[in-house]
Amino acid sequence: NMAVSPVLLLTDRNLLARKQNARLDKQNDSGWKLFGKVPLRENAQREPKRMQKEYEDKAGRPSRPPSPRQNVRKNLDFEPLSTTALILEDRPANLPAKPAEEAQKHRQQYEEMVVQAKKRELKEAQRRKKQLEERCKVEESIGNAVLTWNNEILPNWETMWCSRKVRDLWWQGIPPSVRGKVWSLAIGNELNITHELFDICLARAKERWRSLSSGGSDVESEDAGFSAADKEASLELIKLDISRTFPNLCIFQQGGPYHDMLHSILGAYTCYRPDVGYVQGMSFIAAVLILNLDTADAFIAFSNLLNKPCQMAFFRVDHGLMLTYFAAFEVFFEENLPKLFAHFKKNNLTPDIYLIDWIFTLYSKSLPLDLACRIWDVFCRDGEEFLFRTALGILKLFEDILTRMDFIHSAQFLTRLPEDLPADEVFAAISAVQMQSRNKKWAQVLAALQKDSREMEKGSPSLRH
Amino acid sequence: MQAPHKEHLYKLLVIGDLGVGKTSIIKRYVHQNFSSHYRATIGVDFALKVLHWDPETVVRLQLWDIAGQERFGNMTRVYYREAMGAFIVFDVTRPATFEAVTKWKNDLDSKLTLPNGKPVSVVLLANKCDQGKDMLMNNGLKMDQFCKEHGFVGWFETSAKENINIDEASRCLVKHILANECDLMESIEPDLVKPHLTSPKVISCSSCAKS
Repeated sequence: NMAVSPVLLLTDRNLLARKQNARLDKQNDSGWKLFGKVPLRENAQREPKRMQKEYEDKAGRPSRPPSPRQNVRKNLDFEPLSTTALILEDRPANLPAKPAEEAQKHRQQYEEMVVQAKKRELKEAQRRKKQLEERCKVEESIGNAVLTWNNEILPNWETMWCSRKVRDLWWQGIPPSVRGKVWSLAIGNELNITHELFDICLARAKERWRSLSSGGSDVESEDAGFSAADKEASLELIKLDISRTFPNLCIFQQGGPYHDMLHSILGAYTCYRPDVGYVQGMSFIAAVLILNLDTADAFIAFSNLLNKPCQMAFFRVDHGLMLTYFAAFEVFFEENLPKLFAHFKKNNLTPDIYLIDWIFTLYSKSLPLDLACRIWDVFCRDGEEFLFRTALGILKLFEDILTRMDFIHSAQFLTRLPEDLPADEVFAAISAVQMQSRNKKWAQVLAALQKDSREMEKGSPSLRH
Repeated sequence: MQAPHKEHLYKLLVIGDLGVGKTSIIKRYVHQNFSSHYRATIGVDFALKVLHWDPETVVRLQLWDIAGQERFGNMTRVYYREAMGAFIVFDVTRPATFEAVTKWKNDLDSKLTLPNGKPVSVVLLANKCDQGKDMLMNNGLKMDQFCKEHGFVGWFETSAKENINIDEASRCLVKHILANECDLMESIEPDLVKPHLTSPKVISCSSCAKS
């Protein structure tokens, strides 16, 4: 009955400490002491003051009125004590005394527990110290990186960005304070979009929202070919999707601080590219950009990003080209993870089932946001190839689990990745992925497949949809 | 307890316009909860529901929650392959989503048929019925007529939020699929492959009697 686990002792620490404290207090008013040496047979050597008080009580002689502090102490004495503390006590007078042997055993047990707890305390302290040191180191290296990016790299972007040193630093993750800047530079502005153009597109979008909400959906002749209904649908969809973009961050929803920015960028884009319009997935991309850039710059980055070949293929839902991308992905999949590739083939688990979400949202929906931003970092450096390399890294990381799963469980797993993916493990897995297949690089494999599919289309036009 | 000796695996599609509550319905059905904070579905999401249909029968439902934007139409048609049934969902508070129902039904029927050439069973879900003031639901007869005309096996007013009618709708769909399967067994030579059955040995029509 006295086998008190050391864990319990720890949880009871406060109580125990308080009791010790009360006792020590009585003895010499010494300060708080956690696992200070406790005189075991305290009762045997009661302090004179208390003996005197007891005597006075018995004699019915009023002593000095007790100070409030003494009252507290007294109450503490009668508080229920932890089981651990009971070990130290002799049994109450109305019960037979503990045999000496048992008492000795209990003392020993208690001392062992104290030693264990002390050890654990020490270990915990060491762990915390190490953690703190590591955090300081990380913070210091981030601080250093910020300096390097700001003072060395950004001022000399054109000459430096593709240097070995910068590429290495880039892989480590861009510090959040310079991230937006680096993304903007890396994505570029091939489309030559100015802040003024953004303002014009935004003004148009606002006009359209107004006319929509007032009920008059006038067909504007200048956008002939895109029906009023289409535009209306696009704007309606934006409204629906904004509230479903990073809902747990609670910043893009109606009334949230970034709601209007997100609305503006997506609305302006449908006016800038009515032929593309709004496509699901865009809201996530725009949201990530907004978190790192101000509105007009986010719009410029957004439009240029979507203009990249891979993104254009997906957001225009060019099915043939998407299939070509999936086929290229499968070439590297088989090369890197033949066992898993065969397992997926057997189970009919095709890349479209998991890649669509990853590529459309650039991982911002499926990975933790800070990890997704690091993926974006390298995507900005390496281009579309890195999106597919990341997919292979994720598959590699979970190869063992996935090989043991059937279709539905794999599909569920991949469309809902674990929420606590550690960035370093993901990046280690990604870096282990070889983006070379029979001496061909991603771009070459993709180009060859594209050529094949074009020739097939030419050869048998009946196969075209 | 006697082990069930029949096991069916059915792939079910959940389709309908964007934001009508497809994901919410599935979450309610499979995980018994509701949140107004679901993220938009891009591509497709999955869920698995196991039904103990009767003492001898276990039905596993593979639910394919398919992104609702019309633009994805071409891309998501591959997801229809080998489905045995579908829910088409609309939002009673947004008339446009009901107008899209026939479009979804036609799309489905044009891309997917059972091995015997018949269309798959489809149940229509009028979701968000808790938000009331429904314009068409007051008229059940009209809805019955609509379902008959467009080949739905049934319709239900549902609410993922308040957990209304979701189990019932699913039971209705599964009942029709089981019945369809019996028809299939009769019309197809027994030695043909039946991809929708997990155990090809089982050829039994007890569910027909129940429907």
